[in-house]
Amino acid sequence: MNDKVAIRRLATGVPGLDAILGGGLPEFSFNLIVGPPGSGKTTLAHQIMFGLATKERPALFFTVLGEPPLKMFRYQQQFDFFELTRVNESIHFVNLSEEVTEGNFDHVLARIMREVETASPGLVFVDSFRSIMLEAPRQDQGAIGLQQFTQQLGMFLSSWEATTFLVGEYSPEGQPHPIFTVADGLLVLDQSVRRNSMVRQMQVLKMRGQATRPGKQTFRISNAGVEVFPAALVRDDTGASESAASGSGRTRARLGMGVPLLDEMLGGGLPSGYSMLVAGPSGSGKTILATAFLAEGVRVGEPGVVVAFEQTPSQSRATMLDDMIRAGKVGLINTRSLDLSIDEIVQRLIDLIHRMKATRVVIDSLSGFELAVAPSFRDDFRESLFRMVAVLSGLGVTVLMTSELEDRYDDLRFSPYGSAFLTDAIIVERYIEIESRLKRVLAVVKVRGSAHSNELRQFKITDDGIVIGDPVHDYQGLLSGRPTQTPTPHKVA
Amino acid sequence: MLLARRAGKTPDAKAIAAAAADIWPQVMAQLAPVIGVRGVNVLLRRALHLTSAAFPWLQITGDQEGGAALLQTLTTRLAGQGVSSATEASRELLETFTELLTTLIGEALTERLLGPVWAHPSTVPQQETGT
Repeated sequence: MNDKVAIRRLATGVPGLDAILGGGLPEFSFNLIVGPPGSGKTTLAHQIMFGLATKERPALFFTVLGEPPLKMFRYQQQFDFFELTRVNESIHFVNLSEEVTEGNFDHVLARIMREVETASPGLVFVDSFRSIMLEAPRQDQGAIGLQQFTQQLGMFLSSWEATTFLVGEYSPEGQPHPIFTVADGLLVLDQSVRRNSMVRQMQVLKMRGQATRPGKQTFRISNAGVEVFPAALVRDDTGASESAASGSGRTRARLGMGVPLLDEMLGGGLPSGYSMLVAGPSGSGKTILATAFLAEGVRVGEPGVVVAFEQTPSQSRATMLDDMIRAGKVGLINTRSLDLSIDEIVQRLIDLIHRMKATRVVIDSLSGFELAVAPSFRDDFRESLFRMVAVLSGLGVTVLMTSELEDRYDDLRFSPYGSAFLTDAIIVERYIEIESRLKRVLAVVKVRGSAHSNELRQFKITDDGIVIGDPVHDYQGLLSGRPTQTPTPHKVA
Repeated sequence: MLLARRAGKTPDAKAIAAAAADIWPQVMAQLAPVIGVRGVNVLLRRALHLTSAAFPWLQITGDQEGGAALLQTLTTRLAGQGVSSATEASRELLETFTELLTTLIGEALTERLLGPVWAHPSTVPQQETGT
């Protein structure tokens, strides 16, 4: 028999929220939105309301003492989603402060029930229930307690076929309030400040009947309202089917790097779907190499996307890259804000990749990326990087990341994040001193599953880009920074 | 002018007061469910305060006066004035109140909330305001 009740899931219209809820909001569920002041509870509630309310499914928004309704209107209407024409059409506001001040839950409940019965709403919001709780001590003897109040409210509203939200300042880490048991869904908002950055996070602690996305998800509030950036899901590669599994973009094809001789050094170009790390000190030509990679893509009809983390983008960016971006052939994500989450970048990147149908992605540079990421996320930077590379690889794009590397002549390192093992290919650039001149050399350190050159080759940066020269034959100890000329064998006549 | 229209063609101060007594409960009925009785009261008190600069007799003190009592006092004060003064003050008060609300929540939302009051001009039978 297949007569189980089907729970309809409502699409909230809040970007990213449905994904972390596990596919939308269960209809007729009783939900709590909690969090400290300023965490975005009321905004989220409003956005959900404006997203879901229709003439057939009107919404009732009960305001309690928490925030004076006038102020709420004043500020909430600044958001794009607040469509004024829908007030008193599909959205009705009801102020409960009189009943709450009386301190009698019976009256509050009775008023809510009366309003709900009259309006027959599909959505009910109560903001905030903490105000109701605070009035609890003033309860008359014999009247219903807070727990019964919430229980009765929850029961009444679900049987009245309304999807309900109680909004409140409440931290679930404190003493668990019985209301959390009653609720079908529990959404916890939080904001953490570290140094100068503020990060907003949201966690679905509970959503009955569906698998939610675990962990804290970052979100941002802009004029458009709340946007959630669900942590990118890394799908397991079961290896079952070559086409369905992750890395479907990994064909045998190889991508040209746009630098003469470099393809040869890589063993015929960079295998499609690979991620490559270009590591080197400041000014060694990493961005130029990355630009060549994108330009080659544009030349052969493979659109690219570049994620740039530079302080002065248009100045330092090569004109060539700028031209490609202006021509719409390369997508750009450029950010100088210092409070990003990696998930936010990944989300934007994925959107852009899909939009541009891009197959080449450049991240320039990981060092800038780390700076741009809010301090709260830096501890997990490596882990997030791993996730990002995995997600990009799942999309089948070929990735080139640059990494600023301090020239150290006593050890050979490729990245400060231990990210070398994450990537499939590595090119390292270095400075060497020959005859009192600083010269650049590069070498292919690794190309997974492929033969490649092991030569250290000198290269020059010219107006046309990188020009790779001959292998440096006559010297040894190049990587130590103090190469010595190997004695030329005497020619035998 | 709304109040004058409500008060009839040749209104006296009493008619103006009656019209005001009629319109303010409607404003209250529209706004109180949304912003609370207190919210409306605070706005009305502020409007009274601002209007009393030009019409000192509108200065209503006493913190305890709630919605109904405040309106009662207002009606009484209006009735005690000359026609032109009552009309002018009433108009000024209503305008100030609407402007205040507009400043706080914007014109569009004010229009949405108070629209019904302006849309149904009179519930007061004509004879009550008669000549």
